[in-house]
Amino acid sequence: MLEFSIPNEPIFWAAIFSVLVLLVAWFEYRRLYFKLAAREDIMKRRMYELAILRELGERIGYSLNVQKIVEIISSSLGNLLPYSAVLYMLPGESGRLLYHVNLAEPVSKQFITDARTQMLRSLSALFGKTYAEGDVDETITGMVTDPTAQSKVASFFNIPIVINNRPAGIFTVASVEPGLYQSSTEVEILYTIMNQASEAVSKLETVLEIEKGKLNAMVASMADGVLMVDPGSRVIVVNPQTRKLLGISTENPTIFDVLDKLSDRLDLRTKIDESLKRDQLIVEEEVSIADRFVQILITPVKNNKKEPIGSVVLFHDITHEKELEKMREDFTSMMVHELRSPLTGIRSIADLLKSEKIKNEQKKYQEFISLISTNSSSMLDLVNDLLDVAKIESGKFPILKQPHDPREVISQRIRSFETLASESHVEIIENVAADVPKKFMFDSMKIDQVLNNLLSNAIKFTQGEGKITVGAFLCPVGHTIGDAARALNLPWQEFPKSELAAKDELVISVSDSGAGIPKVEIPRLFSKFQQLSTARKTEKKGTGLGLVIVKGVVEAHGGQVRVLSEEGRGTTFFFTLPIEAEQKS
Amino acid sequence: MADKADKADKAKILVVEDEEILLTALKEELETGGYQVGGAVDGQDGLDKVKAFKPDLILLDLVMPKMDGMEMLRKLKENNETRDIPVVILTNLSDYERISEVLSLGAMDYLVKANYKLEDLLEKVKTVIARKAGNM
Repeated sequence: MLEFSIPNEPIFWAAIFSVLVLLVAWFEYRRLYFKLAAREDIMKRRMYELAILRELGERIGYSLNVQKIVEIISSSLGNLLPYSAVLYMLPGESGRLLYHVNLAEPVSKQFITDARTQMLRSLSALFGKTYAEGDVDETITGMVTDPTAQSKVASFFNIPIVINNRPAGIFTVASVEPGLYQSSTEVEILYTIMNQASEAVSKLETVLEIEKGKLNAMVASMADGVLMVDPGSRVIVVNPQTRKLLGISTENPTIFDVLDKLSDRLDLRTKIDESLKRDQLIVEEEVSIADRFVQILITPVKNNKKEPIGSVVLFHDITHEKELEKMREDFTSMMVHELRSPLTGIRSIADLLKSEKIKNEQKKYQEFISLISTNSSSMLDLVNDLLDVAKIESGKFPILKQPHDPREVISQRIRSFETLASESHVEIIENVAADVPKKFMFDSMKIDQVLNNLLSNAIKFTQGEGKITVGAFLCPVGHTIGDAARALNLPWQEFPKSELAAKDELVISVSDSGAGIPKVEIPRLFSKFQQLSTARKTEKKGTGLGLVIVKGVVEAHGGQVRVLSEEGRGTTFFFTLPIEAEQKS
Repeated sequence: MADKADKADKAKILVVEDEEILLTALKEELETGGYQVGGAVDGQDGLDKVKAFKPDLILLDLVMPKMDGMEMLRKLKENNETRDIPVVILTNLSDYERISEVLSLGAMDYLVKANYKLEDLLEKVKTVIARKAGNM
């Protein structure tokens, strides 16, 4: 019998124990080693990820161009993931799809077509819109395709590109090797990078949106029309005023809408090209669009590198200026006519007076002399009025305020018009309130002129058995002038509504019982341009400048002139003279 | 040509002018020149006077109240009875641009008010009336 006896020496047990310890230590070491290696691997990867992200951040910079950003990402992926191709698909201009393939190894044509079909499907789902193969513009970079290869898309991963919560395209990695892109780490890397990029762009876009919003609000509030186009003639900015001036009803007009509205008056496209080419501002002084006149300024716009980035077209409405110019011209020619016709007559009559024949006809001789006299004095009136108006307009109308009794001034004026009034069968009534002060500061000569004009107008427009009332009363600040007038029983028309006194005022009014003034005529009464032409059309004598002077005189005193009129119920002209502090005591 | 000795044979001229003094002067000058002269103060008055007075020539101002010279000329040319009466326009330099318009409406000639001389006026009237007589 083979006897195997367990040695009893302690050395043996010690050896066994050592081996066991060694074994345990070795296993523990292996375990730790793998653990550390894995951690190092992750660390390395993280570091690389970070490096890519940092680089991405730098290279994206301030670019908002999605294509450029996606390209940067696709060229940086190489060390992170195994792939045969990095691909992206973005909707481009005018409904085309940009399909870009960056090949890391030669693949078959079929590989690219298959990837395209899959991406198209995803993109259609992402945008909720059907895209066809025909919409795709394809570009391939990196390796070339291998016509002999049989490679198929074995692994595939899509990531939507999202900017500011809006889909912008699809980013894809694809490989001929099966089983890739299934672990969470690989997918995570792609997501992290994509998120980082889209977040950066989103932030930038938000900032730009805010800035653009400020700019748009400013452009929209401009009184001039503003239009900006890029070098490809696409409309970048168009403000509401542009659309209003050109009569464009669409919210977002294209360059064609603009060109169309101008077509028969201005070739805007040629002008824009010309200004870009010559690098100069082009001004079209006067373009008539519908019933408006517009000045058009076309200027090239450059970025800070002095490269042209488009053109700005300004539409400045000059209709009002043109109208004023026309009115001024009409006024001048009317005045020339007013002065020249009687002057020519005077000269002719004077020539006739020189002839022997007339000297023997006593009656005719006298008639001619008086014709010369009345004509020259009415011309002198006109010249004086014109001079006053010129002074008023230039703000150099001299006023000399001295204490006078308003009552006296009024009754004197009424007396001087009595003959004329009775000839026209018109009665003039004086109605001055008891509290009107005996001393009031004003320029009596100028106020005489005001009353003369108002009274002669009133007589002129009150025919047969009419009544004219001259009133004067005080109205404290904030009180209704009409109420104060009615308290004195003055005729006071309702249109326009009588207003509140702006200061403590003396109010002087001239009311007639005539036909009244049509509402539309009222605003024109104090315009020198309108008046002279209206005066021509009626048979009424006068320069038509009277009310312009009335307004000037009253305003030079710090007061205001108002007209109240109702057709069939007559007209009231009233003016206010503020009571100055020193005469209140 | 009209015989100046006989009043009935005198050519008749209607002056339409709103400026009283100028109307008086023109009337006097033309009467001295040997014409029978009528006056009107605006276009409407002018048309009425044409009917009654049957002038051989009308001197017509352009800028007038109620109905201006342009309108009166148009009305004259629309009417078969008055269409052939020669019209000479009295104008100011400021109306100068309207001259071609009035001539196209059928006015025969024009006279600038501010610088006409008596001799010019009479000469112009004479030629126009002679031309009219020649046409008939």
